[in-house]
Amino acid sequence: MDNEKIIRREKIKNIIFQVAPVVGLIIMFALFMILAVIKDINIPYSMKNILNQSVIVVVVATGAIFIYTLGSFDISLGANMCVSALIGAMAYNRTNSLLAMLAFCLGTAVLISSVCSILASVFNLPVFVTTIAMLSMLNAGVLMLIGANGTGDIVQVPAAAVSAINTTWFKLLVLVAYLAISIFVFNFLKLGRQEKFVGGNPECARLTGLNNSRLAILGFIMAGIGVGLGAFLTITYAPTLSRNTASSVGMDVIISIVFGGMPVSGGSRSKIYSAVVGALSMTLLSQIMLMLNLNSGISQMVKAIIFILVVYISMSDNRKNILPR
Amino acid sequence: MKESLRIENVSKRFGSTIALDNVSIEARDGEILGLIGENGSGKSTVTSIYAGMQKADSGEMFFYGKKWNPASMNDALKQGVGMIVQENGTVPGISVAENIYLGEIGDYRRGLLVDRKSLVADAQKCLDDIGADHIRAEMICGVLDFQDRKLVEIAKVMANDPKILVVDETTTALSQKGRDIIYSIMNRMKNEGKTVIFISHDLDEIMNVCDRLTVLRDGKIIRTFEKNEFEENAIKTSMIGRELQGNYYRDDYESDVNGEVVLKAEHLCLGNQLSDFSFELHKGEILGVGGLSHCGMHTLGKVLFGALDAESGTFTVNGEPVRSISDAMKKQVGYVAKDRDTESLSLDASIKDNIAIAGLDKFGVRNFLILPSRENKYVNKQVEALSIKCSGANQYVSALSGGNKQKVAFGKWLARESELLILDCPTRGVDIGVKQAMYQLMYEMRQAGKSIVLISEEMAELIGMSDRLLVMKDGRLAKELKRSRELSEADVIQYMI
Amino acid sequence: MKSMKKVLVLMLSLLLVVGMFGCSKDNDGSGKSTDGIDDSTNVKIGVLVADATGAEALAFRSYYENYIQKQYNVTFMYSDELADAAAEASAIDNFIANNCKAIISFASADRPAQIRKCAENKVYYAVATGTLSDEEYKEFKDNEYYVGAIGPDLYTEYLAGYNMAKYYLDQGKTKFAVFGGATPYYVDMHIYRTAGILVALCEAGGGNYNGASDMGSMIGTIYGMNCQLTPAVIGSVELVSYIGGYDFDDAWFGKLAEAANNPSVEVLLAVGSGLDTFAAFKKPNQFLGTVDAYTADAVKAMEAGTLNYLAGKFSASIGPIFMATLSAVQGKPIRTANGEALALSQGYWVATSADEAKNFYAVDSSTTDPAYTRAMLDTLFGASYDDFAKFVGAFSFEEIQNLKK
Repeated sequence: MDNEKIIRREKIKNIIFQVAPVVGLIIMFALFMILAVIKDINIPYSMKNILNQSVIVVVVATGAIFIYTLGSFDISLGANMCVSALIGAMAYNRTNSLLAMLAFCLGTAVLISSVCSILASVFNLPVFVTTIAMLSMLNAGVLMLIGANGTGDIVQVPAAAVSAINTTWFKLLVLVAYLAISIFVFNFLKLGRQEKFVGGNPECARLTGLNNSRLAILGFIMAGIGVGLGAFLTITYAPTLSRNTASSVGMDVIISIVFGGMPVSGGSRSKIYSAVVGALSMTLLSQIMLMLNLNSGISQMVKAIIFILVVYISMSDNRKNILPR
Repeated sequence: MKESLRIENVSKRFGSTIALDNVSIEARDGEILGLIGENGSGKSTVTSIYAGMQKADSGEMFFYGKKWNPASMNDALKQGVGMIVQENGTVPGISVAENIYLGEIGDYRRGLLVDRKSLVADAQKCLDDIGADHIRAEMICGVLDFQDRKLVEIAKVMANDPKILVVDETTTALSQKGRDIIYSIMNRMKNEGKTVIFISHDLDEIMNVCDRLTVLRDGKIIRTFEKNEFEENAIKTSMIGRELQGNYYRDDYESDVNGEVVLKAEHLCLGNQLSDFSFELHKGEILGVGGLSHCGMHTLGKVLFGALDAESGTFTVNGEPVRSISDAMKKQVGYVAKDRDTESLSLDASIKDNIAIAGLDKFGVRNFLILPSRENKYVNKQVEALSIKCSGANQYVSALSGGNKQKVAFGKWLARESELLILDCPTRGVDIGVKQAMYQLMYEMRQAGKSIVLISEEMAELIGMSDRLLVMKDGRLAKELKRSRELSEADVIQYMI
Repeated sequence: MKSMKKVLVLMLSLLLVVGMFGCSKDNDGSGKSTDGIDDSTNVKIGVLVADATGAEALAFRSYYENYIQKQYNVTFMYSDELADAAAEASAIDNFIANNCKAIISFASADRPAQIRKCAENKVYYAVATGTLSDEEYKEFKDNEYYVGAIGPDLYTEYLAGYNMAKYYLDQGKTKFAVFGGATPYYVDMHIYRTAGILVALCEAGGGNYNGASDMGSMIGTIYGMNCQLTPAVIGSVELVSYIGGYDFDDAWFGKLAEAANNPSVEVLLAVGSGLDTFAAFKKPNQFLGTVDAYTADAVKAMEAGTLNYLAGKFSASIGPIFMATLSAVQGKPIRTANGEALALSQGYWVATSADEAKNFYAVDSSTTDPAYTRAMLDTLFGASYDDFAKFVGAFSFEEIQNLKK
């Protein structure tokens, strides 16, 4: 029977889809280890380093999955993180309390993120449109905050203040806790299910009684938490903030999510682990490039080509679905 | 009669799926050849290959005896083979005239400018020629409704004066007027000694229109019927490969409907779609709503589900007003939309996701926490009850056939134990086997005391299934008809037009 | 199968990119040994860069990769373009993981954090150009892993601006337009150069700029204005127009054109990037001076008369700090008598004619016979502080040519 063949093919395809990113990660890791041995690399330090470099992107990307799942897009993630980190750092400098720093990082990020989605809902615009407007406002905000702080071009938290929590274990703890919460919300709460469904077909979701704008707001709040945590971790890792802080995060997040096998269009194939797998793969790739001592331009090109490859392969599957009957 | 089209041993695979298996077809001058088969039988694939939309893996094709191997759809059209496809083939942002002469705008170039006047005049002539003179060629295509856009496509194909015309399931989406236009074009071509290949699901229609009929099943030719061999049951049997059992529609004409009113609409108005529309629906009743495609019946369905707000008027379910979709769902109302793939289902999601999404409040712990065990139970019950052909509830809906998709759309509301179902064209694009199952299901629901609003463009199904039938015209109630054995399609149609 | 083909094409292009650049270099560690330099084991040195594409940055890189790396058994690992302190920290982590023994830094988002991280991980650290602030130097001068800094100190930067303005003032010019570079971003290097220009104007015009007329008060005034300067009449001379920043958008270019095209302006002075900014708008009767790098374009501009005064770092100026770093790695650190890290200043080469510029460029861009050759640098290995300082102090073109002989 034709039908059975289609079903079988579909099943295999799904398995490949789910496994491919993980296989990619394993290959990257194997390649990394082989090169590490050949090139006589400090492996324990390397492992710690990879974690350090991935952790912020993983946290922000995990939150961003809630946005991407909706089929939406937030171009202001990096700028949001910069503003949140600046405000968190200023809060610390006023209060000398790490807790206050965390609270202000989270509060600012969630506030900015939800403003985007609420504005979109009020004016009935696609959310990515308001995030573009937000991007310019935040960029201006960064300059104002740095200017208002009166220390020239940077805002600084004393390095000694954060060195106690700038440890691998603390980062792992934050990461695991946020991941666990996100996975739970995504897979076991009504919210997560509804987000995925809206991403797959917003009109059908509406006709099934789902409140799309409310879901968008909740999704952006979840993403805001990730951004806030990312801002907090950024301060602990490098307590000197400038207008360039987190400037590459937005791009890293998109690339990670795609590397991790998340469809760019969102929907029910969305997975939280895409963020983890993708960010780790990307960091490993960067490390491999570095070990080969390729200059930065080349590694960007390599990433770009792999990016197109991944998107092409995942999209070509969709194209084949549009067969005439 | 001379042979015009010949297809010899054409095969085509999509990945591991065999879409066409050594298919051979021939058609003659001055005839209308019907192609019929269930979804996935290959009837659209074979014609789209002939019309240049895609390439065959093997086999040969001929056009009036010459080897036929068109490079593209446009190439085929230029050489005399036109095809009107199921999907929408017009560009929304440009004018009707530009759509019709897309690709030939160069012919209207005067220096750097385009001679818009003669472009529009020629396009209008094409539209007038096919009897679609109500469409103005200078209009932007996007403002036209589905039917008129289809007519623009037809005009575009006919502007090239094809020798062979393929009409692919175009009529299912059209009102009677649209169908009449297509039928007259087909007949005109036939009389001019040209060839028409007509693809349809609708057995009655195809038997009426065609001179010969070829049945496909699973990518193979099963049999070709000559006009004198046309017999409904024989054709159906060869389509589905087994005998149909039981009744197609319900056969009771006397059973009474309980007097309890579950839905009451009063003076609903919305633009030109609904004007002063009032009716009542009773418990255990199938209420048919019919009319031409734009009479407002599809809008009515959305209004009753809370998906569109009426400008004035009220309606209540069990005596209480409905404020929103989620409010309607709380009152146990369900809605299967006309446009299945874009409104009823999320194609790139699993059967489980599609069915469960409407019932999160039903099986979620405290309407909040989703436990896989409870979810699976909730979903699997429907998969079994509706005998959805699938590898499991985790299969993606996009890989299901049209009929099974529609079963999922039904299952979504049945699982919630909806008491009132609004079904908009529930059997559109569904093959006969599933269609019969759907009718059976509706009838069982009725017997179980559930109420159904059945909105449909298929006259036979409305007459066959409804306890009462509301005929709509221009947003108004034109006539209310009671169920009876004597009711004929002609009786209904006279109130529609 | 078409899709397979596309995937293959992408894969191939991937291989090509990696292949083309990946296999191009590897050091052939010659193993020769002079002056006690241990050439038998390869030393990996990480280089932090904040600018990976600027002319000056490329010239520096070329000196390390195309000369030093071929002469010594060392491998330079370059970072990506680093935008912020977090990126610097990751890059250092990368270098440590790759067993770099030392790091030479061109990036300055958070120098103290860079030094601390290196010291914690027992990796030597050196500042390639520029200097630490006095406080920073105090904190790190005794740290054995901080090698030191060689580059124009802020006073040298001030002089660069001062001398450039004075050159034209001495010719009797009175109307100036100034491009302040990164001054609005609070970049000290550019603030001091701008201050130098303004002080020279004050001295020649016999007036003051918002009350300031010497180096100390001028710096204070600039900070007091939040680094946003305005035109002013200064006694008998005039700062006719001023523009800062690197916005490089249309509105900004409009302002730049306006600043340059003011009909009374005689001289255009840029504290950096003059060729990318004022040069496009300069009229034939105007003069243009800039602090920039010695590049082929700069030489061409000098020949064409577009540029009349160029103060530039020479790319081999980062040779001595490399040598100090290598010495430290190989156990022969160069410290002051009190065991403190290096803090030496080195100034600019100044060209005021096309011939001079051509001469400078020829030496500066050579990968076989650069300003500082291996023979010259070898004398610095394990040298005494005084010898080292003397070598670095003799930085003018003529002095270096004499040293070579």
